Amino acid sequence: MRFNVINYLIGEGISNLFKNKKSTISSLMIMCATMLIFGLFFVIGENINAFVKNVADAQEIRVIIADTATEEQIEEIGKQILEIDGVRNAEFISKEKAYEYMKEMLGESGAELLEGREGIFSVSYDVTLTDLELNDEVQESILQLEHIKKIESANKVITQVISLANGVRIVTGGLLILLVIISIAIISNTIKLTVHARRKEISIMKYVGATNSFIRWPFLVEGVIIGVLAGLLSVGIIWGTYTLIANKIAETSFLEIAHWKLLEFKDMFKLILTVYLGLGVGIGVVGSSISMKKYLEV
Amino acid sequence: MIEFKNVCKKYGTGTDAVKNASFKIEKGEFAFLVGSSGSGKSTLIKLILKEEEPSSGNIIINGKDTTFLKQNRVPYLRRSMGIVFQDFRLLPDKTVYENVAFAMYIVKATPKHIRRQVPMVLSLVGLSGKAKMYPNELSGGEQQRVALARALVNNPSMIIADEPTGNLDPDTAWDIMNLLNEINMRGTTVVVATHAKEIVDQMKKRVIHINKGVIVKDDKKGGYDCEI
Ligand SMILES: Nc1ncnc2c1ncn2[C@@H]1O[C@H](COP(=O)(O)OP(=O)(O)OP(=O)(O)O)[C@@H](O)[C@H]1O
Ligand SMILES: [Mg+2]
Repeated sequence: MRFNVINYLIGEGISNLFKNKKSTISSLMIMCATMLIFGLFFVIGENINAFVKNVADAQEIRVIIADTATEEQIEEIGKQILEIDGVRNAEFISKEKAYEYMKEMLGESGAELLEGREGIFSVSYDVTLTDLELNDEVQESILQLEHIKKIESANKVITQVISLANGVRIVTGGLLILLVIISIAIISNTIKLTVHARRKEISIMKYVGATNSFIRWPFLVEGVIIGVLAGLLSVGIIWGTYTLIANKIAETSFLEIAHWKLLEFKDMFKLILTVYLGLGVGIGVVGSSISMKKYLEV
Repeated sequence: MIEFKNVCKKYGTGTDAVKNASFKIEKGEFAFLVGSSGSGKSTLIKLILKEEEPSSGNIIINGKDTTFLKQNRVPYLRRSMGIVFQDFRLLPDKTVYENVAFAMYIVKATPKHIRRQVPMVLSLVGLSGKAKMYPNELSGGEQQRVALARALVNNPSMIIADEPTGNLDPDTAWDIMNLLNEINMRGTTVVVATHAKEIVDQMKKRVIHINKGVIVKDDKKGGYDCEI
């Protein structure tokens, strides 16, 4: 296509937006609103995902070895643990080390209690996971090995965090679908108004021999511009509010207790921008195509 | 150029608008299409434009049978014809120049070609001085000239007009018909559906008479009245 034709088509699309100010603005606002609701859950989900990853990094399964195991057997167990799917690392903890850790944890007053009782500790492996979701399977596999006395881990917390993450993911997915449906309906309705207002022009175009794709372009441009504007506006709004709220939360020590640091917006910026722009363009294209259908069948 | 072979058109409502029509309009011909209201003139024209599909029969345009033409080829068929209507169908928010240039944008003409061609057709229809005016600033006759210029601007091989003088006073109607005649003299085929009895009688062109969907008479140099 030649340059002036592209100019013409895009120009027409933009002038459609202005001729149709009221419905352009209202569809922009509704789309923004749905995008923001989606964005809220998206941002929460991203933070929970980051948290889950942190927990996974910090989570340790302590595999306590039976006292009867020989040194070779202990070494063998270490190798076998490393071979299990989902295990990132297995650190050997000797009796002395376990004693040191306990002393550290109990502080000075508790240390007296432990004096001379290194013997009560067992050798163990501290196992870290590549993926929290594999927690149960890894534990099962470890229990199948010989000379294992028992496993200690914070199972309950893990399951809760994972189910929270999954819940947020489901809600976000549902909202995404809702957002797409609502936005397509809104955009196609807005463009239907333009198409209706310009039906005379469209019919003239058809008599002069315009192809359907040529007729469609300005409306496509209109839809995509609304979608992209809504996307950009939403990113801006989310950016502002997120930063504000994250700073307020950081001022309280609320999250420190859970060793949870909120993500910074710039960590999510690219992803959110991509998702919003992708949605905006996609919704614009689909919405305008739907609204054109009826008028192109001449 | 335009050939109908046993064409029938029955609308979804059950109306038989065209019944077994067969005729042939040669390249460079000027043909009137006459008949009382509701006789099927507009339907015939819509069939030529492929705005309506024939129920049976074949329509051949420029040597090509359009009966099975794919929908996405219809725009290219229409580019071979300039179409003019009774109600002008101009875009009110575009100037005379833009209304004509619009038809060239649509076929993706170059800006250079547009700048050369539009003034040329505007002068052909006698509107050189009114290029910057809007349709509502023009008389009916002038508006129809703009429509004619738009129909001509892409150099179609035929002009198809459905009652082009229906909204005009007799003098202005003559202006438009004379213009169509002039265009025909330059080699463009012209088909005009009309009720303008006097003009048809005086122009001594081919007249195809249609009555209740049937072509009842085809005069090589005929008049409007049709004795059956
Ligand atoms: N889209 C349509 N659907 C159903 N019937 C139609 C349609 N268009 C036209 N008809 C019918 O077909 C017949 C022929 O109509 P047409 O418009 O071709 O007549 P015409 O000769 O152009 O009349 P006029 O001189 O008044 O313009 C009429 O009976 C009309 O009611
Ligand atoms: Mg008619």
